[in-house]
Amino acid sequence: MSLEDFAIRLSETSLSIALTDSEWAFPALESAHVIALTLVFGSIAVVDLRLLGLAGRDRDARKLIAAVLPITWVAFAFALTTGTLLFIANPISYVANIFFLTKLGLLLLAGVNMLVFHWVSQKHLDREGALAPRLSGAASLGLWVAIVAAGRWIGFTL
Amino acid sequence: MIIEVLTGFAAWLGKTPLTEVVASHFWVVPALQTIHILSVAAVLISVLLINLRVVGIVEGGQPVAVVLNRYLRPTAIAVVVLAITGFLLIAGEPTRAIFRTIFWLKMAFIVAAVILTWSHRPAFAVEGAQATVARRGIAVAALLLWVAVVVAGRWIAYVEAWPGAPE
Repeated sequence: MSLEDFAIRLSETSLSIALTDSEWAFPALESAHVIALTLVFGSIAVVDLRLLGLAGRDRDARKLIAAVLPITWVAFAFALTTGTLLFIANPISYVANIFFLTKLGLLLLAGVNMLVFHWVSQKHLDREGALAPRLSGAASLGLWVAIVAAGRWIGFTL
Repeated sequence: MIIEVLTGFAAWLGKTPLTEVVASHFWVVPALQTIHILSVAAVLISVLLINLRVVGIVEGGQPVAVVLNRYLRPTAIAVVVLAITGFLLIAGEPTRAIFRTIFWLKMAFIVAAVILTWSHRPAFAVEGAQATVARRGIAVAALLLWVAVVVAGRWIAYVEAWPGAPE
């Protein structure tokens, strides 16, 4: 089954039809998605700026990550849920949209970057001025800015 | 009366070079919206950490005053960036937002949210000050107001303009 076939099948489900028929479902989901994604981006950016040494240098990086990471995960779960529902409301248009596909690819890269941080860069956190955490922070910040931008561009090209 | 004043303002704004610049290229509006939303992120994470700290849910090891010092400044900077990008987005389409009740509701929520958020500062100015029940209530109200700001903002795209508003 191709991606297009999958999208067509999905668009024929009762959930997809209910989401499309409702006048308030789409804007309500969008509002929830905006709140969730801004908290994902914001919480990640707080950590990235600390890794880059641009903010919160008086704060222990591990303690900051421990305080902020639960917010990231809860917000990400909400962003993923609302995002999936937005997709289900209009699957045929989304799979044909280059910015949507770009956003998914960038999200995948952000996930890989997170794993690299977890397995490699994090071990160098205690060494003052270590390069690995800075690179992780810079890559993360760049990727997430691009993810937000791609998301906003979807709205103009759908 | 209000509609006439706003219509005059929209007409004036529409003749400024700002409107031309914002409307000149397809990418200007989404680019401005991206900056706007990244600034929303800066505000929301800052006020979330501040108010959850006041309530006592996060950053228990840090005094409230320290958390306020760390996050109020980025909040203020982001609010200024939001005002600038918001104004430019209005300039790009002057007859849109300002003729909708939801936009003015959003502005009112912003004023209330800013006042409540910054009211934490004097409340925790004395060293060792603890959060009272009232103060925690204010923190929850501030957070809800910030959420309402975002929701109202998203809804501008979906509600009707006032009758008699310019096309």
